[in-house]
Amino acid sequence: MTRQLELQGLTRRFGAITALDDLSFSVPSGRVVGFLGPNGAGKTTTMRAIFGLTDLDAGTVRWGGAPVGETERNQFGYMPEERGLYPGMHVGEQLTYLGRLHGMAPPDAAASAGRWMERLSVAERAGDKVESLSHGNQQRVQLAAALVHDPEVLVLDEPLAGLDPIGIDSIREVLVEQAHAGRAVLFSSHQLDLVEDFCEDVVIIDHGRLVTSGSVDELATSGARRLVVRVEGDRQGRWAEGMPGVRISEAVAGAVRLVLGESVDSDDVLRAAMGAGRVTEFSFQRRRLSELFREALG
Amino acid sequence: MSWRWVIVPVLVLVGGTRIWLRYRRRHPRRGAPRALSSHAVLHGKVGLVASREIRERLRGRLFRVSSAIILIVVAGAILIPKITSSPAPPEKVGVVGALATPERQLVVAVGEDTGTKVVFSSEASTAAAGRALRAGTIDVCIDGDRLIVDESSPSGDTFVQGLAEELGVQLAYQQAKLSPVQAETVARAKPFEVVNLKAATKTTVRTTSLIGVILIFIMLSQYLTWTLMGVMEEKSSRVVEVLLAAMRPIELLSGKVLGIGLMAMGQAALAVGFALVLAEAVGSSLLHGTAPVELAAVLVWLVLGYAFYCWVYAAAGSLVERQDQVQTLVLPLSIPMIVGYIFALIVAPTGSPSTFFDVLAYVPLTAPFEMPVLVALGRVQWWEFAGSAMVSIVCTFFVARFAAGIYRRAILRTGGRVRLRQLLAGTKG
Repeated sequence: MTRQLELQGLTRRFGAITALDDLSFSVPSGRVVGFLGPNGAGKTTTMRAIFGLTDLDAGTVRWGGAPVGETERNQFGYMPEERGLYPGMHVGEQLTYLGRLHGMAPPDAAASAGRWMERLSVAERAGDKVESLSHGNQQRVQLAAALVHDPEVLVLDEPLAGLDPIGIDSIREVLVEQAHAGRAVLFSSHQLDLVEDFCEDVVIIDHGRLVTSGSVDELATSGARRLVVRVEGDRQGRWAEGMPGVRISEAVAGAVRLVLGESVDSDDVLRAAMGAGRVTEFSFQRRRLSELFREALG
Repeated sequence: MSWRWVIVPVLVLVGGTRIWLRYRRRHPRRGAPRALSSHAVLHGKVGLVASREIRERLRGRLFRVSSAIILIVVAGAILIPKITSSPAPPEKVGVVGALATPERQLVVAVGEDTGTKVVFSSEASTAAAGRALRAGTIDVCIDGDRLIVDESSPSGDTFVQGLAEELGVQLAYQQAKLSPVQAETVARAKPFEVVNLKAATKTTVRTTSLIGVILIFIMLSQYLTWTLMGVMEEKSSRVVEVLLAAMRPIELLSGKVLGIGLMAMGQAALAVGFALVLAEAVGSSLLHGTAPVELAAVLVWLVLGYAFYCWVYAAAGSLVERQDQVQTLVLPLSIPMIVGYIFALIVAPTGSPSTFFDVLAYVPLTAPFEMPVLVALGRVQWWEFAGSAMVSIVCTFFVARFAAGIYRRAILRTGGRVRLRQLLAGTKG
């Protein structure tokens, strides 16, 4: 049975500042949901609210239809934005300890800690103190801390920040695997192209309000058509400037991405491009998440 | 000496522990971690937190060093008086002419009274006695009805003073022509008994109370600082956010103060156990008489003092996240303890507490220092002791509630020192 984490009407004020403003969305089990928004949009506050780490002025958090309490939270895994582990505690013992705090029996917690250390390639460092690990390895241990008790819901605040490509691949693999195993995965990131690669759904918020949400495929194919055109001798796409109904979205690696209005005929665009020089690329493309993000936030 | 049988095993134990710890540092465990069940004798999340505190502290150098210092202080307090009070060398008494048996017995009795043995030697003449005195072969010479010494300050020699008085009295008996029975009756004259309505206080108990008060201050200072620093470190390392995602703030706070408190009790029990064994082994009088009662009072107030203050220090730790911020908090927090401690240090040796001191013994902030002193001085009844303990327990309950509220609101606020004013203004965490 598919369960979902539902956030309904979350509102949180800090004095005159409204951090969350009637925010509602849901995270179904078996899906990886990217949680996007500019700095200060309210992502971290939302994630903290899921764990009861901030007092809400209004709104509820539900899992499987029931309000989330202490018992439910024992089945949630959390990776906070500001990484937090005991610096002087040994890696293996720390993971076992966190597993036990989530209600695991001692042998199960120890076995699970061992498994996750193997899976995330830090098993060799089990007897070392966390503070002696590199940033990347600390990040892996932090992820293991969120996973050690085999949670049904994973909430990860910027899990990819500061990682090299190998580290990113490793964590991405684990998140997708977890979703396939039926977990609900919510994670925030500023690396939109990476999010697009492995997220099925996205939620975009700004000023504590929901801006848009839905599946990446639906959002990418909806809205205005995108054209990528490469014209020799005009890397900035000056030929397209001033064309009615055509907007230059961005110029990347010598090609320009154009956003076409509904009334624009693509044949007219091709003729204009050919008039400017030799056309080496002309293709329709999906709306990228970064474009969606910019458009959504105006 | 018998105390060697205590010191040697302690040295072997300390040495063995050091070798074992060095081995563990060089050969850390690899692979899957060991389950924590062997340590987690306490149950539930509070128990898990407490067990972790105990385990991590036991591993730390600080605990081992402080335990060693406390044991050294205890050993010093027991052994030094014992060593310094060892029997004095025998008094060598020269006699010019003959000394009758009653006088000879009298000289031996004076020696026993002053804790020394007496060795007699016969001197041929007063001049020979003078030479023997100057050569140091005798300490004092009985020459007829006078004593001859060769000392810069004979009035400071209690043996000589006692001898002079007793021989003088004996001579007076003879001159008064008292019969032996009469002389003995007079000699056995006892002063009138003085009945004091206040219980008599012995120096031993006072010394025990003084050591106890010092022990309470050292241990409270150490463990309360650990509590404050432990909370601050959890906040500054941000691990608290991971922990509070799995448990309530009151569980984390309770586990921490319980764990550190158990460490304190363990260390105190170690110190007391060591003191008892050592005192028994060397035949010290420090723990005889009413001293065990005083020791129990010290332990009770160590527990009550920690229980009262630990919440305050934990709440203070949640307000800060840097070492320099801690410095500004520790001094105002420790002022009540220092005041109580200084008053106790002044009163314990003199044995004359003022009314103000009596009042401080009922104030939970200072009672851990003042009440054990009053017990040692025999100035409190059991119900007064219990009353003060009850006041402390009730106040601890309210302080804990208030501190838990502060902790809950402050522990997740990062980015600078949290002002109490902000929290009391009612803004949410």
